[in-house]
Amino acid sequence: MSRYLRLYAHFLRFSFSKAMEFRVDFFFRVVMDIFFYAVQFAFFHIIYLHTPILAGWDLEQMRVFIVSYIFIDALHMTVFSTNCWWLPIYINRGDLDYYLVKPVSTLFFLSLKDFAANSFLNLLIAGSLVVWALTNYPAPLEPIKVVIYLLLLINGTFLYFLLNLIFLLAVFWTQSPRGYGDLFFSVSHVMERPDRIYKGVVRKVFIFLLPFAVMASFPARFLMEDNQWHLLGVIFGVTTCFFLLVQVIWRLGLRNYSSASS
Amino acid sequence: MIKVEGLSKQFKVHKKRPGLRGSISSLFNREYIIKDAIKNIDLEIKQGEILGLIGSNGAGKTTLTKILSGIIHPTSGKVSVLGFDPWERDNRYRQQMSLIMGQKAQLWWDLPAADGFLLLKEIYQIPEAEFKKRLAYLSESLGIEKELNVQVRKLSLGERMKVELIAALLHQPKVVFLDEPTIGLDLSAQKAVRRFIKEYRKEFNPIMILTSHYMDDIEDLCDRIIIMKEGEFVYDGGIKQVHQKYAQSKLVTAQAAPTIDASEEARKFPKSLGEIEINDNGKIIVRSPREKVMEAASYLIHYLKIEDLNISEEEIGDVIEHIMSKGKEA
Repeated sequence: MSRYLRLYAHFLRFSFSKAMEFRVDFFFRVVMDIFFYAVQFAFFHIIYLHTPILAGWDLEQMRVFIVSYIFIDALHMTVFSTNCWWLPIYINRGDLDYYLVKPVSTLFFLSLKDFAANSFLNLLIAGSLVVWALTNYPAPLEPIKVVIYLLLLINGTFLYFLLNLIFLLAVFWTQSPRGYGDLFFSVSHVMERPDRIYKGVVRKVFIFLLPFAVMASFPARFLMEDNQWHLLGVIFGVTTCFFLLVQVIWRLGLRNYSSASS
Repeated sequence: MIKVEGLSKQFKVHKKRPGLRGSISSLFNREYIIKDAIKNIDLEIKQGEILGLIGSNGAGKTTLTKILSGIIHPTSGKVSVLGFDPWERDNRYRQQMSLIMGQKAQLWWDLPAADGFLLLKEIYQIPEAEFKKRLAYLSESLGIEKELNVQVRKLSLGERMKVELIAALLHQPKVVFLDEPTIGLDLSAQKAVRRFIKEYRKEFNPIMILTSHYMDDIEDLCDRIIIMKEGEFVYDGGIKQVHQKYAQSKLVTAQAAPTIDASEEARKFPKSLGEIEINDNGKIIVRSPREKVMEAASYLIHYLKIEDLNISEEEIGDVIEHIMSKGKEA
């Protein structure tokens, strides 16, 4: 375990030293993301001009939910997104070779090797928004639940990444250069809506098959509402299943990997 | 020790008909072709051996290398490398093997090689003192100490290959796969890489499997070669024995005196003694059947005014090319 932490420390160091070379990109990302955050808040504020309650939440509660998925998005952008960008390209071009012969987990390596240091500032902004939303929350929040909520956001990011991976690993079979990454991006907006607006089968789909509801909405609900401990079981159950599913798909995919000939 | 029995690998390739119409029809009705990349081969390589894999593009060399290194999964057959099935990708196996591909880089492009080495130190868990010692030895042998702190993308092709070699050998692997390590390098860089590989072998004695299109690499480094054609071995044996087995002719070269009429002499040369070529500078080359070579030489001495004579084997590259084009019937 500590070996993997040391490896990750190297990845961080490499990524920061690379990112410093691209200053314009650094600032451009910040401006772009602040604009994205503003749009998210504006969207829900407009809805609340017409109704006091949406999906069981008032505006203050909705703010906690908004910062939850903003934080997940920023954490994913910083830790995983660059790797997600490259992974299907490596598979398609047959560039996995060097990663496959190293005595470390290939998936660990490929998932984490590129830390987007140029998104790090966005992560700090998103983190500050979480602090702001929680401190301005009108009712008292239990400290233990706040801690668990924060861990659940990290878990939500991981689950978001796992689901993204499943769409990307399709490239082993489709041979198309991007897998279904774009499709994932379109569906992923489901995460930006509170889970209660989905009913019946659709709701089950967004909990168990495409578990976007589990990523941000469930943690927010766990934090703000009473008697929601059962959500923890669903969250960890779904995350574990997706973690195992990714391993299986990865193994099957590698069997199919032919590697471009040199 | 490497042992391979009955190994085959097939690829399923989608056959696309040309043009837009072909693309649309292939959406609904897809035809596949099964391509045999490797056909039922057996192989044994002992510790310390260096084996040259030769064959034209698509002969199956790279596929074999990638199966042995655990990158691709064989369709059938048994493979054991150092007692492991490479496809299992056991860390204990990956810790002892290395792969160098002349056409692909493993080091981080935007960072100095030295940074990449630190990461490899962590991956292979090389103790600090040992790491320093090995890095000093490898960089000194390759004469590249000064370039280790330069970004990899700013290095010349030759320098880049040298740092890639260090990256691949820092953990002292017992099996090394070298896939065209000198491709694209200039002659002096090619020589430097070859000299280094020789020295390294003497010092550490790993199994090495080398694929290369440059005959100089193979001749200089390998005692044993395998020639592949369409997924099969057409020759497996010593490099010296290739001549005895396959070279039907020898070369008799001579320098003619300036006074002779080249085309007239060539016309008179008996066809049974071989083919003769005389160039404008009076250089005579006779490609003569092995049993006729002495007769051919004595013909030149007796009937032509020559100043110099030499009998040699055909270029190994020519012999191998002949075997590759003819296959097992060569």
